[in-house]
Amino acid sequence: MRGIAVAAPGERTARVRRGVLARVGAAMRPPTRVGALGLLGSLAVLSGFAWAASGVQAGDELNLYSHRQPFLIEPFLEAFTAETGIRVNVVYASKGLAQRLQAEGKNSPADVVLTVDIGRLAIYADKDLLAPVESAVLTEAVPAHLRDPDGRWFALSKRARVIAVSKDRVPPGAIQNYENLADPKWAGLVCSRPGSHVYNRALMASMIAAHGEDGAEKWATGLVANLARRPQGNDRAQVKAIYEGLCDVALINSYYYGKLASSDIEEQRAWAASMKMIFPNQDDRGTHINISGGGVAMHSKNKETAVAFLEFLTREAAQELYGTVNYEFPVNLAVEAAPAVRAWGAFEEDSLPIVRIAELAPTAQRVIDRTGW
Amino acid sequence: MAAPILSVIAAATGDSEGLWAHLFSTVLPRYVANTLALMAGVGGLSLVLGVSTAWVVTRYEFPGRRVLEWMLVLPFAVPAYLIAYVYTDFLDYAGPVQGALRDAFGWQTRRDYWFPEIRSMWGAIVVMGAVLYPYVYMMARTAFKLTPHTLFEIARVHDRGLFRTVGLPLARPAIAAGLALVLMETVSDFGTVDYFALETLTLGIFNVWLGMNSLPAAAQIASLGFLFVIAMLVLELMSRRRRRYVDTGRRMRSLARLRAGPAQVAACLAVCLLPVTVGFLIPVGLLLSFVVKGYALPDYGDVLTVALNSVVVALAVAALVMAAAALMVVTVAYRPSRPLTALAGIASSGYAFPGTILAIGVVTFAGAVDRGLDGLISGMMGLSFEGFLTGGIGLVLFACMVRFQAIGYGALASGVNRLPRNIVSAGRVLGLSLPANLVRVILPLLGTSFLAGGLLVFVDVMKELPMTLLLRPFGFDTLATHLYQYAKDELLEQAAVPALLIVFAGTGPVILMNEALRRLGEGRAGSR
Repeated sequence: MRGIAVAAPGERTARVRRGVLARVGAAMRPPTRVGALGLLGSLAVLSGFAWAASGVQAGDELNLYSHRQPFLIEPFLEAFTAETGIRVNVVYASKGLAQRLQAEGKNSPADVVLTVDIGRLAIYADKDLLAPVESAVLTEAVPAHLRDPDGRWFALSKRARVIAVSKDRVPPGAIQNYENLADPKWAGLVCSRPGSHVYNRALMASMIAAHGEDGAEKWATGLVANLARRPQGNDRAQVKAIYEGLCDVALINSYYYGKLASSDIEEQRAWAASMKMIFPNQDDRGTHINISGGGVAMHSKNKETAVAFLEFLTREAAQELYGTVNYEFPVNLAVEAAPAVRAWGAFEEDSLPIVRIAELAPTAQRVIDRTGW
Repeated sequence: MAAPILSVIAAATGDSEGLWAHLFSTVLPRYVANTLALMAGVGGLSLVLGVSTAWVVTRYEFPGRRVLEWMLVLPFAVPAYLIAYVYTDFLDYAGPVQGALRDAFGWQTRRDYWFPEIRSMWGAIVVMGAVLYPYVYMMARTAFKLTPHTLFEIARVHDRGLFRTVGLPLARPAIAAGLALVLMETVSDFGTVDYFALETLTLGIFNVWLGMNSLPAAAQIASLGFLFVIAMLVLELMSRRRRRYVDTGRRMRSLARLRAGPAQVAACLAVCLLPVTVGFLIPVGLLLSFVVKGYALPDYGDVLTVALNSVVVALAVAALVMAAAALMVVTVAYRPSRPLTALAGIASSGYAFPGTILAIGVVTFAGAVDRGLDGLISGMMGLSFEGFLTGGIGLVLFACMVRFQAIGYGALASGVNRLPRNIVSAGRVLGLSLPANLVRVILPLLGTSFLAGGLLVFVDVMKELPMTLLLRPFGFDTLATHLYQYAKDELLEQAAVPALLIVFAGTGPVILMNEALRRLGEGRAGSR
């Protein structure tokens, strides 16, 4: 109010303000509209907080933080609800859920965390976001090398990193190991998604475990020299590139083949038909596998149900479902893989404790940066 | 509102354990070079497309102008990552374009001919430029329209080019504001560069964060990108430091349009149709063709609920952003103080951070507040307290507000700076306090800027993905998150319906508000 000389400033301001309020509606259309929007906005905020409060409740509901897409886990949740009557709420995001869980601390509504890639699981464990679980069902169902020694996370399904080769252009037996990919004879014929994707990073970690950092770097240098194009696309796109004749050899996850081969879209079935899947390193350490897995949130108010949910996922019905829904392998050795997956044949898998892959991941990323994969 | 941004910067002060030495010697130079190239390319393309189309529709009268005037805004409703997916599908080897070429020329394999690779730097520049130029277009068009015709007449008397001597120089602050938004979005984009596998700073942020498990180093790289943008803005401000842009014309009438001759009509149409076609007609057509082919989703009911969520969130954020922007702009313009100005600057620069990184800033901040409140409440009343801020839809709104504040602020600031300063002094002489001045004098004069800013924010929130994805409460989906679960796996066919809904939900308001803008502009010119 400085700058205006009035006898009784307070009174005067009040009068002006009242006058303003009275006339706002008539004189100015745009601000009114803005005002209405503002009102709507604050209403939305308020109802949002109410919503938040209603989401946080214990009892016959389970809250899930998932790195897996909703349409992939939906069948499992439906089966769980059908069996137990417990409803499952999901938040799905591909990145940053660990930070969210951490920031929420003990107020977090989350009960269970589900993710793909061992690296992510290990990060949750490292940040102390997962509670140790003692469950005879889980330790029996999940082999020791596929779970945390402290019981904080458990593998729930497996996928293999396989080599896809062109059916027509690559003679049988020409490629048998990951190491072959660095052979100059494949110069300009290899396709891959970028090295820093979790699947390739995990494979790189397994190469480091097998050959040491220097050996793995030499391998990656050879592989990069053989690339037909700048690394790009997802695993699906690599199969497509084989179909297009752009490359003869590619690295993919096994379930991509299953999905393409049984796709509703004719064109995608044609991509799958143009390739053959090779499970590498059958004569030595076995094929590199990665897992999807889960754990119980440290501050879950519902730990019993959370453990029951994980147990449910390792039992026969759910383990089979991993195969039928997403062409993954069961972790529970007592359960047979789904027929579509079984048709690919048995193979030897790398029995390296899966936690090593997570431990080596940062080193693997450095090698990937150095070699420009 | 600066708090989440400051919390990212605080994270950047953490120990990155010597990662920088490794990054410097390996990937960082490439990240920086690619980011600069992308900024230059997208910025340049947006300038050319945005300014030329804005000039053409304000300067010339030609058949279809009124339709094109709003159609030019439409590409803005298409998310950049979506158009990237669609064009890749359209232009790559198995796509219809190359297929037709092969049939026509009898080529057999990929090695028989050369075709530009869409997943490349130029592809990213075209794709992002095609959907981001409307920022420049909207800002420039408003500025051209508001430039008094008397100034153009002076130029005409002196036989100078109207565009070069009057139009462009006077629209410069507005164009710069539009360009700033384009650049911020370019720096922070993740979806497109990830899909095209371009190694920019954003991709580097995620490799470092998720691959090397170092959030501090990731936050440091993010701050680097942020610095790029700030540096550009400061340069622009410095270069026009000594000039002020104020409308003094009393009778505001826009430049009368020239009736275009046949050759000019063709040129005008070509200039305007090119961006509309590339940025809107082709991608939407392709998406529609997926739906027609029947690859769409069966659960339309779900999609509609989800669409409603999107619209409500977008409306709320638009209103909140514009209200906050009004407060900030007016405070900075009429009660200037250094710390306040700086704070407003920081608060409106969230747009330069990748959404996910900003979301982490938001959730960290909210978590700290929650813990503080929790301690307070349980200390005082012995009650346990469930999270208040985290995990609610309020957090999504807050995050979007922080991120898109730049847009609201930019739109209003360029409007406020055109107002003569003495308008406020006049109000004061008449006995109005500053708040009263704000409501009665300034806001009515800023009506157009308000609508333009609100519209931009609305459409941007409709498209927003990474923050909603991470911060939303249980069971809450927007069109963008719904679309993402399919798009992530390149299941474009299943993604088509939600994608089209995003585009159309953005299109309606764009048309409506554009109409409102037009009427407002004309009404104003006529009533005085």
